[in-house]
Amino acid sequence: MFRYESLEDCPLDEDEDAFQGLGEEDEEIDQFNDDTFGSGAVDDDWQEAHERLAELEEKLPAAVNEQTGNGERDEMDLLGDHEENLAESLSKMVIENELEDPAIMRAVQTRPVLQPQPGGLNSSIWDGSEVLRRIRGPLLAQEMPTVSVLEYALPQRPPQGPEDDRDLSERALPRRSTSPIIGSPPVRAVPIGTPPKQMAVPSYNQQILCPKPVHVRPPMPPRYPAPYGERMSPNQLCNVPNSSLLGHPFPPSVPPVLSPLQRAQLLGGAQLQPGRMSPSQFARVPGFVGSPLAAMNPKLLQGRVGQMLPPAPSFRAFFSAPPPATPPPPQQHPPGPGPLVQNLRSQAPMFRADTTHLHPQHRRLLHQRQQQNRNQHRNLNGAGDRGSHRNSHQDHLRKDPYANLMLQREKDWVSKIQMMQLQSTDPYLDDFYYQNYFEKLEKLSAAEEIQGDGPKKERTKLITPQVAKLEHAYKPVQFEGSLGKLTVSSVNNPRKMIDAVVTSRSEDDETREKQVRDKRRKTLVIIEKTYSLLLDVEDYERRYLLSLEEDRPALMDERKHKICSMYDNLRGKLPGQERPSDDHFVQIMCIRKGKRMVARILPFLSTEQAADILMTTARNLPFLIKKDAQDEVLPCLLSPFSHLLYHLPSVTVTSLLQQLMNLPQSAAAPAPSNPHLTTVLQNKFGLSLLLLVLSRGEDLQSSDPAAESMENNQWMQVMFMATRELLRIPQAALAKPVSIPTNLVSLFSRYVDRQKLNLLETKLQ
Amino acid sequence: MNYMPGTASLIEDIDKKHLVLLRDGRTLIGFLRSIDQFANLVLHQTVERIHVGKKYGDIPRGIFVVRGENVVLLGEIDLEKESDTPLQQVSIEEILEEQRVEQQTKLENEKIKVQALKDRGLSIPRADTLDEY
Repeated sequence: MFRYESLEDCPLDEDEDAFQGLGEEDEEIDQFNDDTFGSGAVDDDWQEAHERLAELEEKLPAAVNEQTGNGERDEMDLLGDHEENLAESLSKMVIENELEDPAIMRAVQTRPVLQPQPGGLNSSIWDGSEVLRRIRGPLLAQEMPTVSVLEYALPQRPPQGPEDDRDLSERALPRRSTSPIIGSPPVRAVPIGTPPKQMAVPSYNQQILCPKPVHVRPPMPPRYPAPYGERMSPNQLCNVPNSSLLGHPFPPSVPPVLSPLQRAQLLGGAQLQPGRMSPSQFARVPGFVGSPLAAMNPKLLQGRVGQMLPPAPSFRAFFSAPPPATPPPPQQHPPGPGPLVQNLRSQAPMFRADTTHLHPQHRRLLHQRQQQNRNQHRNLNGAGDRGSHRNSHQDHLRKDPYANLMLQREKDWVSKIQMMQLQSTDPYLDDFYYQNYFEKLEKLSAAEEIQGDGPKKERTKLITPQVAKLEHAYKPVQFEGSLGKLTVSSVNNPRKMIDAVVTSRSEDDETREKQVRDKRRKTLVIIEKTYSLLLDVEDYERRYLLSLEEDRPALMDERKHKICSMYDNLRGKLPGQERPSDDHFVQIMCIRKGKRMVARILPFLSTEQAADILMTTARNLPFLIKKDAQDEVLPCLLSPFSHLLYHLPSVTVTSLLQQLMNLPQSAAAPAPSNPHLTTVLQNKFGLSLLLLVLSRGEDLQSSDPAAESMENNQWMQVMFMATRELLRIPQAALAKPVSIPTNLVSLFSRYVDRQKLNLLETKLQ
Repeated sequence: MNYMPGTASLIEDIDKKHLVLLRDGRTLIGFLRSIDQFANLVLHQTVERIHVGKKYGDIPRGIFVVRGENVVLLGEIDLEKESDTPLQQVSIEEILEEQRVEQQTKLENEKIKVQALKDRGLSIPRADTLDEY
């Protein structure tokens, strides 16, 4: 770049044409630019000024060191001897680098500029004094920690009402309106990295902590909190959360954090103070301020409330310091709700999650302080120990400085997503178990209410979003002007990828094993189909209740139809035949699922159908017992069978008994060994069923004396035979029945004498 | 506040100390700070705890972000009962040593078993050589 000392030096004369040609080409050249073409270039040698400025910055640290001694003395004189001792004691506790403290900056500002302007900085476009002050400020701060302490937050000093405003209006205005240092980042309204929501609070903190208006001086990266007035020892202020760098992964609980709700409350309180500095005034402060404030003041506030009780009185006094015109903050209740105050106060607003920038000693001090606080707090809270467990948990939350990193709206966002996932058009279909579970719960609680007549417990119910079912008709993608439709396979329109053709093989080719296997598979398929029918039938009740009047007959018909199909499936439907062999049914009953299904189906069947099932079961019981050896699921049938038995007439019962015991048709024939009965009796289910049948028979007998004699005879005969058989069986062979009906004794007493009766009794117990 | 009654959600577990078991067998203990819809976790002041026999050792790890699919289970730690354990805490070096020894013995036993099976003509494919699904 050219350097023209004066316009005369420009080789305009010689190359005028060329120059003008240049000008014609690039019309963007701003010929009014002062710096380049105007006075700036001529009168003001800015480049030199820049260099000097750079030199200045280098020289200053040196200059400062020289002036150290002077500075201190000056400061002391400035404030008077009575504060000297305090200053000294405080200076011992001060953390070294106090550059960023606004109070220090302020102190710097009030201090008259004694030093001559170093570096020969002549008046340039930048305001020299300003720059000086600003540059020197941070560096000089090191010498004057004591001043800052006293000036910044002395509560005794009477607050100046209208003066404050005046001062404030003066001081709040930024001293610099332009960025003085070349290369420095532009002044931002909001410092880089400041979370948006937390801006308001620092202003509040500022209000609380600075009864006197403080002109907040710019540029201090948030480092260490300044020690405060004599009320607050720096140790208290050091109650900032320590980071994991300490090495102990789970530090003891640290001073509290404000939950968003309480933060809002604090803010609400902040607004009530008219005479104080309002956030708007802070907005005018140069942007650098926000950041240090945000970081520092929470710590300060934190520090204040770190010790909950001892400083509490002073804390409140602190609040009373402001002019009476301002209403006290909302937390300023009468001492009654002391704990409440503490609670609220104890949750100071936002905490910087990373405190890794803390000085190690600082952190150590904090750590110590936290321990003490916690102990004290615990001691004091020990009195109210009711629900201490909960309190300690809340305690932990309160003292956890990293709490609420996940904001409420983020939590809401996650739950919103989770709720969206629960959307369903048919909750009964999609979320069957949940629906059933809650229904059961409600029934239970309703039952309890009826019993107990206690207060109605509101059970929070999850209300899942209901989405209307939309019928999507797939419309294939079409391009205009093209022939045909483009069919793309998507989730809404799945396309068959593999053309698998099912070929059924002829019976001849198969081996025996394969046949057996196929048969079993067919049975399984039948079971599945029947099960679907069963589920539908079971669901009818609910649908019935939900449906409209006119739909109901149709529903009923459907239901009946399904029941019939189920029965047919069970028994094996063959057109144009009597009820076929039991084989089909037995096959189903060999499979565990089949047995359970039959147990569920039975209540829906008509009495004849159910009786038929029962008979078939009894007939084939030994075989079924054998097959059930592994599953042991036959007893599940006992309940529906017993229900069924109560509806059966005596004829049926008689024949049932006969079947069950495989008794010969005529009483006269001698009874050979009866493996059938043996098996039955040795099985839990078998024996229980037998006893049930016997019991039912007895009931019928005793309840209805005027029964048909024919039937009676039949029954008597069978019973004789039965008892004979029973007596023959050794006791050891008997299984343990599920339940022994009570009327058996009376039953047997009819048919046998006492001696045998006793025998029977002992056998059956 | 119960966000969603009848559902399992991690929202109420936030800011509480948890024990997380990962699919690779690691045990992490930390404060649960943040979650998302996939149950990805952000654990704070995390400690990896290695258990060998009756001893355990803690390795401080800092902040962990765990992808949700790698979590087997997690549960809240009762801070009061936390110290009430028959286990003995040892130093990291010691527990790592113990772990190494344990792994070694396991490997050796495995080798012996496989050899014995081979001698008898059998071979059982090892789980890690199979496909995952």
